[in-house]
Parts: sequence; C-alpha cells; structure tokens
Amino acid sequence: MLQRRFSLNKFTLLFCLASFGLFSEVVAQTVLKGRVVTEKGEAIPHATVWLGDAKGEVADEQGNFSLSELPKEGKFKISAVGFETVSASWPAGKTQETFVLKQSTADLETVVVTGSFEPQSARQSVYQVRTIGSEVIQNRAPSTVQEILSTELGIRFSQDNALGSSNMELLGMSGQNVKILIDGIPMVGRQGTSNEININQIDINRIERVEIVEGPMSVVYGADALAGVINIITKADDAQKLSLKARVQEETVGSEYSPFDGEGNHLRSVTGGYRVKGWDFGASFSQNNFGGWKGEETGRQFEWLPKDQNFFNAKVGWTGKTVNLEYQLDFLDETVFAYGPDARLEVLDQEFITSRWMHRLSGKWAAKPDFALTWQGAYTDYERESQTWVTNVRTGERYQSQAPAANSTIFYTGFSWRMIGDWKVDEKFRFQPGIDLNTETGSGERIEDNEGIQDYAVFLSGEWSPVPSVKIKPGLRKSWNSAYDAPGLIPSLNTKVSLHENLDLRLAYANGFRAPSIRELYFNFFDASHSITGNPDLKAETSNSFNGSLDWRAKANTDWGITSVLGVFYNDVKDKIAYGQDPNDIQVTTLFNVEYYRTAGVTLNQTHSYKNLTANVGFSYIGRYNQLTEEQTEVPEMSWTPEVNTNLTYRILPWRSVVTLFYKWTGALPGYEIVADSGGNPVASEVMLDGYHWMDITFKKDFGKHLSVNLGARNLLDVKQISSTSGGGEAHGGGAQRPVGYGRSYFLGLTYQLNK
Amino acid sequence: MKKYRFLPVTALLAGVVLVSSCSDDPDPVIVPPTESGLIEVDGGGATYPNTVFVSLRAEKQTAVPRASWDLAFSTGSDFKVLINGTTGAMASATTKTDINAVGTTEIAAAEASGELIMGFTNMVGILKVDNAANPLSQPVIAAVSATDASNVVYLLSRGASAAEARPWKKVRIIRKGDGYTLQHANADATTFSTLDITKNADDNFVYVNFETGIVDVEPAKTDWDIAWTAGTSSTTSQGTTLAYFYQDLVYHNIYGGTSAVAVLEETVPYAEFDETDVPTLAFNSDNRLTIGSTWRFTGGGPPPSPTPTVYDTIYYIVKDSDGNVYKVRFLSLTKDGERGKPSFEYELVEAGN
Repeated sequence: MLQRRFSLNKFTLLFCLASFGLFSEVVAQTVLKGRVVTEKGEAIPHATVWLGDAKGEVADEQGNFSLSELPKEGKFKISAVGFETVSASWPAGKTQETFVLKQSTADLETVVVTGSFEPQSARQSVYQVRTIGSEVIQNRAPSTVQEILSTELGIRFSQDNALGSSNMELLGMSGQNVKILIDGIPMVGRQGTSNEININQIDINRIERVEIVEGPMSVVYGADALAGVINIITKADDAQKLSLKARVQEETVGSEYSPFDGEGNHLRSVTGGYRVKGWDFGASFSQNNFGGWKGEETGRQFEWLPKDQNFFNAKVGWTGKTVNLEYQLDFLDETVFAYGPDARLEVLDQEFITSRWMHRLSGKWAAKPDFALTWQGAYTDYERESQTWVTNVRTGERYQSQAPAANSTIFYTGFSWRMIGDWKVDEKFRFQPGIDLNTETGSGERIEDNEGIQDYAVFLSGEWSPVPSVKIKPGLRKSWNSAYDAPGLIPSLNTKVSLHENLDLRLAYANGFRAPSIRELYFNFFDASHSITGNPDLKAETSNSFNGSLDWRAKANTDWGITSVLGVFYNDVKDKIAYGQDPNDIQVTTLFNVEYYRTAGVTLNQTHSYKNLTANVGFSYIGRYNQLTEEQTEVPEMSWTPEVNTNLTYRILPWRSVVTLFYKWTGALPGYEIVADSGGNPVASEVMLDGYHWMDITFKKDFGKHLSVNLGARNLLDVKQISSTSGGGEAHGGGAQRPVGYGRSYFLGLTYQLNK
Repeated sequence: MKKYRFLPVTALLAGVVLVSSCSDDPDPVIVPPTESGLIEVDGGGATYPNTVFVSLRAEKQTAVPRASWDLAFSTGSDFKVLINGTTGAMASATTKTDINAVGTTEIAAAEASGELIMGFTNMVGILKVDNAANPLSQPVIAAVSATDASNVVYLLSRGASAAEARPWKKVRIIRKGDGYTLQHANADATTFSTLDITKNADDNFVYVNFETGIVDVEPAKTDWDIAWTAGTSSTTSQGTTLAYFYQDLVYHNIYGGTSAVAVLEETVPYAEFDETDVPTLAFNSDNRLTIGSTWRFTGGGPPPSPTPTVYDTIYYIVKDSDGNVYKVRFLSLTKDGERGKPSFEYELVEAGN
C-alpha cells in the first residue's frame, strides 16, 4: 500500500487532458516510429510519451509508439510505471529510434507473496495485500516490528508492561486471531494472558517487507488466520557474489540515554552473504539492548522493562535447474528484567528468558512448464522461563528463589509442513492443491499434561480467469484435529475484476477459524480467590467474513500520480471462546464457546506522488461488537472508532536524502461495562479509552557507495499514557492509565553495505 | 534482633530469683515487654495454610491451621457464634427449627442460587458471611436466643477458599444455661450430633471442629495482639460490595483489648515516632481490619501480574492489653521469595502498666 505503481493509460490521459481543458485532436499521420525498452532490451508496454502542452501518446503492448509530428525542438519525455521518467530528444534525421528506461527504485511494482503460489504483482493478486516496503522500513530505521506496524491503519498495540511485551489488535480483533508468518511459515510460541505471538521477538534487521492481508485466509494458512495474516518477509541475499552489511543504531528512551550500554536503546547487527555457483550462504547476528524506561517509577522499578535480545541466523541455499532448496536456522535469546520494588528485607526480581530455535526448509520444484511444487517446513523449539531472584537487603545476598512456583518454564514445540502444487491446466485455469500439517505441544507450569495438538489439512484452490480482466479463486480446506472439533469444510471465494485498466474491484467471502490454544485447553490456575481451568472440550471459533475493495490508480500528469483504495469489511464470529462459570462447579471459571462477536469497517487510503514527494493519507472507521448489548438494550450493538494516518516522504535528490514523516491519530475507543446504579441495580456505563496522536520523523542520507546515516525522532508528540474511564474493581483495578509510549526519543543510526 | 533475646530471658531469670528468694508472694511473675523484635511469620508457605497469632511483648507466634475449626462460640455475655472466615465459610439461614427437616430442598435452593459460593458472581455473598471488620457486631448466624424456637437451622459451607472443599453442613445452636448446645450434621443427613459448649472467660472464643469437637485455636485473649491470616473480607466490583477472600490479612485483637492505628511515613517517619506522638492518635478498637490488607499491594490474578509488595509508606501503632504501645512495620511478603511467609519488625514506644 505504501509502494504502489502508478499506471497510466489512455483513459487517464484523456481524463487529464479534458480536465485541464487542453484536449486537442491528434491527427493520425505516422511520421516517426519509436520503441520503449528496459535496460535489458525488453519492451515496456503502455509507456507514455509526453509531447509538451500536455499532449501525449501511449505506446502499445510491445512498447511501440508513433508520432505524427515532431515535438517542439524535438524534445519530449517518456514515462512508464516502475521506471524513471526520461527526457529525450529525437535524433535528427531518423524515423525509427529505441528509448531505454531505467527501472525506478521508488516506483517499483509491489510484489507480494502472501496467499499466492509464487511472487506476483500486488495488482494481480486476488487479495488486497497491504505492503510495507523495504524503502519505508529503511527510511524509518525501526528498532522493533511494532514500530513499523503501529502507524498502520486498523492496527493497535496495547503495552503489557508487566511482561515487557505488547498485544496487537487488527481491525477490531485481538491478536490471537492474527496469523503471524515468517516467509509464509507460522510462528510458534504464544505467550501471556493474551495468548499472542510476540511480534517483537523477530529480528528487525532481517525484515525486507511486511505484507498484511485483512480478512480470513484460513483455507491457505489454517487456524488463527481469522482477522488476517501478517507475513514478515525476510531479506533475500541479492548480491552477485559477496555481501556484507553492518548496522549500529543508538536511541534515547524518552530522555534516558547512556552511550552503547545501559539506558537507551542500543542496536547492533552484522550480516554477510556469499554466493558461489548454485550455492548461497548467509549468516547474521543482531543484538538489541533496551535499557528500559523509568517513567514515574522510582527506585529499582521500570515502567518499561529492560530487555536484551540476541538473534542469530544462518542459511544455506541451493539452486538447481528445476529445484531450489533453502535451509535457515534462526535463534532468539531474550531476557526481560522485571526489577522488583525496593523493600526493607527481601527484594524480588524476575527474569523472563525466552529462547527459540527455528529451523526452516523451503523449496520449489518446477517439474514441468505446467506443474510446480513448493514446500515450506519448520520445526520450532520455544522455551520461556520465569525466574525469581531474591536479594536480602540486610545481608546483601542474592540467590534464586526455591519457593514453589517462583520459577517456571513453558515449552512449546511446533512442526509445520505445507506443500502446494500449482498446475496450469490452460491459460485460463490453474489448480492449486495443498497439504498442511501442523503439530504443537505445550508443557510447563500450570499446563495440564496433554497430548499436544495435531492438525492435518488438505486444501484446494483454483484460479480461473474466464476473461483476462476477471480472476476467480475459490478455495476449500478440510482439516482433522486431534484436540478439538475442527470446523467442517472451510470455504473461501476471492474475486478480482478489472473494471477498467485503472480500476480493480475485489470481492471476497471467507470462512475463518481460530483454534483453541494450548493455554485455553489446558491451563489451570488456582489460588486464594481464583479457580481457573482450561477446557479440553473447546471447539474452534469460526467466522464468516466478507470484504471488498476498490483500487484506483491514475496519473494526473508526468509528475503527479494518485492511487486510492477503498475497502469495506464485515466479520461475524461464532462460538467465540470466553470465560464463564463451570456449571458443574460454579466456583470454577473456565472457557466456553459462548460468545458472539462482530466487526465491521471501512478504510480509505490515498497516495499522491508528486515529483519527489509521496504523501499517503488513510482513514479507517472500525466497529466492534458490544457483548453487553445482549443484556442491556441501551448499549449500542457496535462501538465505532476512527483512525487517520499519514506518511509523507520527500526525497532531496541533490543531497541523496529522504525525509519521512509518519503520523497516526488513533481515535478514542468506546466500550461498556456494568456498574451499579444508586439503587444497586446493574446498568451499563460507557467507558472510553482516550485517543492519541503519534508522530515520527526520520531523515536518511547516503554517503558514498556504501554508507547511509539515519537520524530522527520518534514519538514527537511525547505521548506516554492514555486514560481510560473504566472503574474496575478494587481487586482488579486495571488502572485508569494505559501506557502507550515512553516519550519523545531520538536516534542516530549508521548502516554500511557492501555488495560485490 | 538476637541481641534483644537475652533481655526477657535474663529479666525472667532475675525476676524468678528475686521473687523466689525474697518472698512467697504468689503474685504472677512480671515479665517486662520485649523492646523490639522481628517476626518471620510462619504462615506455612505459598498456600498460606496457617493463621498466626503474635504476642508482641512476648515476641511469640502461634501458628494454627486455618481449616482446623468450624465455629467459634463467643465467651462474652452475648450468645454469638462465628463461622470460619479464614476458610471462606458461608452460612445461610433456613426457615426451619428442626435440623432433621433441613435437607435436599434447602441444598438445592442454595446450589441453584450459588449464595454459599464465594466469587465475583455471588451478589449476596456479603450477606452470608460474618462482618469482616467486627464479626461479633454482625455475625451471619443471629445471636442465639433464649427462646429455642427462635433459633433456626443454618446451612453452612465450611469454606472452600484456599481450603479443601468439604460437604456442606447444617447447624442449629441453642442456649444451655450460660453456654451453648450445638446441633450439627451433614447437610443431607437425617440424624444429627450434639455438642455442649461452656464459655471460658480467659478466651475470646471456644472453637469447635465438627469432627473433633472442641479444639485449641486462639491463644488466651490477652496472649496475642495481632494475627496474620487469609480470610474473608470484601471488595467492590462493578459498584457492588462482594465477599472476597484475601491472603495477608492482619487482624488486631479487638476482643482482647488490643487497639491499633495506621500512621503514614509522611506524617511521622517510623524512625522518629516516639511516645510524644501517641496522644495524637485515635486508636481503633472496634475494627480489626485497621491493619487488614492495607500494608501490601498485590496485583491479583493469574500470572503475569504485578509483583506483590509491602508498602513502605505506612506503619502501625499497636497498643496491647497491658497498655504497651508498639510501632509495627511490615518488611516483606515473602521469605526466600515464598509467599505466605511475611515478616515485620516492631519497637516498643511506650511501656504499659
């Protein structure tokens, strides 16, 4: 969405000419023949030849165009989507000439892979895929994945500062309904009460781009792809022979900073790649040290917990004639330090230590021109340990507590194997059968012994293009699950219609499901005032989802391009898992498939690109269902929240610099809770979570061939907390303040890149 | 703290020597109150199975399992009976006076309403427990009437809060002279047992366990000042007051003549508090929750939740039944990181009579 090609064709041209009142009839009388090609000599279809005075000519499919008369002084411009515009002059005396356009880095056609068999242009995909491209990520110089996503429309994060993590919401649905993929492979290791993948446990330095698909993709990706899919695409080694990259970045955390260690945020990363014959080797190491943020806390405690992360990646790839294979190993080691409050006798500190080993094997076999096979397999070993450390203030002794429950570990292992075949029946029809095997086991403190979850699925989708402008992609998935009742057949239907060369309409219906997690099935917790158990009899939550989008792009003139995407969605979730009283023992709280939930919304996104300025403005209006409406008729069924975001990018070419401004307004979020009125009767009361404005500004400059410098300010508006009007109980007072940020922070980063 | 230990011991020895050598006076030995101390409360650990009674002047603690008793019979002039709030017991009056007539109907009704189950959904729970602050002022079992026909049968949950749930009981209490007669049985039984209880003026209560009869629980009423326990109190949820079970409640001995008051560090720092500050304080002798849970913060809920902590902004002044005034401050909720083993320290501010 942030990078989109600007297409041009006769319609827009006519439209523009007409709107500028400069339309004049061109008499067809061929005198000059030209051809527009790439640097490799391939034809560029539909390039536009600008003759001044807003007159123009459009090249055909083969890049050929003809001019009936010579432009003024023989000078004109040629532009095409994805290429840099050139000013050319017709060589005197020639009637035929070839013009070469260089590929533009800024307007590169966005390529997406999510949901498709092989990389394809975003325009061609039947899914409306939002992409956060590599250029945006480079300009932003982020330190976490959350920073990239948090200014996206429809994405909200809420900080869980007790754990040093955060929870995500996508289009009104909680993060456990979002499938997080790395290069199409599902992440393993849900954590915390929110039961989410911690998206910040991914090495930011390895991310090439992020693709977001809204709406269920359960046919292809199975469980939990209910609200949508976030597919994190890692960097491919694009060097000819040798590549080397090093990055150092220093950030303040609010006003707290000390160089290279302690206070502040310190990032270091080194990546190398080597390619020889069909082989491709790579390795990277990254280290992030976040010093935490004290905020209002005094003494030993932090509002934002300090965190150390180490990432290691190694990969080896082999490309043969018809087969390519790649193995990658990712290792994460993370320690979050929760320093306990000062005390007169015993100080208790906690450390949350995560280690994750992820092995991935992916490949493709192009067996025949009309048949290919891809596979992606992964094995993940995830372990999260909580340790309690005691410091005796009077003796100064520090030791690990041996008290019951003071230390605990949760283990997850996950295996997944997805294999998809692609069979081109003819030009109009492709057939894609697939299998998807997933097994997950979880064990550890408070998780009841269990057999794990085995999920086996087959799916089938076809892509039928009866006429070139129409694509219809129906899909079906059937799965078998060992732990819970898997939903029956999961259908989906995605369609894309090119109403016009400039205008694409996508309509989709899909069935989605979210599997009950190991925590929901088997987690038990008992103490003085809590008796909480998992429910091994849960079934999956299922949803019906409809979404549609209209994608329009135009070029007003050589310099000004516009794209617009209007999207609407409606999700209807049944059998939502929620806590309730166990009918057999009402003292016990457990989980049931009881609730109903719904979201709906509209999003509008517009990008204007004028010369070196790109401006993106988005608006969303998202409604969330109020559960209380079922008991309290005065509660509206849906609560609506607006969001506005803007990205401005300005390239200062003489300085080889880019300035980028990211802005998002997250509107207030209304909700309802039950309170007692003066007579002691329960009544619904509106609670409001305040909205807030977020702004980052970044500056990037390239020096020489290899070096670039990033500097900027994050959270320019100095947001720290937002307030909620929720009362809460004495025992569970959530606190009226919710953390959002740690205040205005500054960063300076250095990237060195060598490609040979 | 150790260095003070010899003091009472030597004083005691000296006293004994003095008394036995000089006189045959049968007056009790006068033991000077402990000057200061640190108590590591033996709460039993993470499941806090004990109630721990502490005598400050004797620097002594007595740990008693919370689930060791069911009913506490007041030894005062009134005829009142308490249920065991330290296990979260709850009771509900029936309309019947014949204990054998109470059974499946009443059980079914109480099960259906959930009134004898403590939790966030029990809106009437607060009416089914003794007043947490001053149980004798408002016990769930009505004061035992001299008219037997006025004493109804109660359905009783023996408490399932951090205690093993046991089958419900039914009880009826009538007077017997200056004492009581307890009729009790399993809630669905058709026969019942009886037990006579005689008041003992040295104790606040006579404790009864349904299986073992009269049991020792609380030390003599002048032999303890504060007690650490888990127990029923209340919380507010969605505007309603609910019975809620707490760990780390601290009661002071309001029925044995102990009074207490909280002082904020910002008013007078603990270190500087001395006898001149005592007259400015209004000691509380009718709310045993003056200390209560005000000394600590817990996040509550399944992990992760905020680390529970002891507030360093508050301490307490406790005046024992001898008039000794102590300042008491809590140090820790844990011992070696284990909950249910709190500690506090105290110092004598002013010696009593």
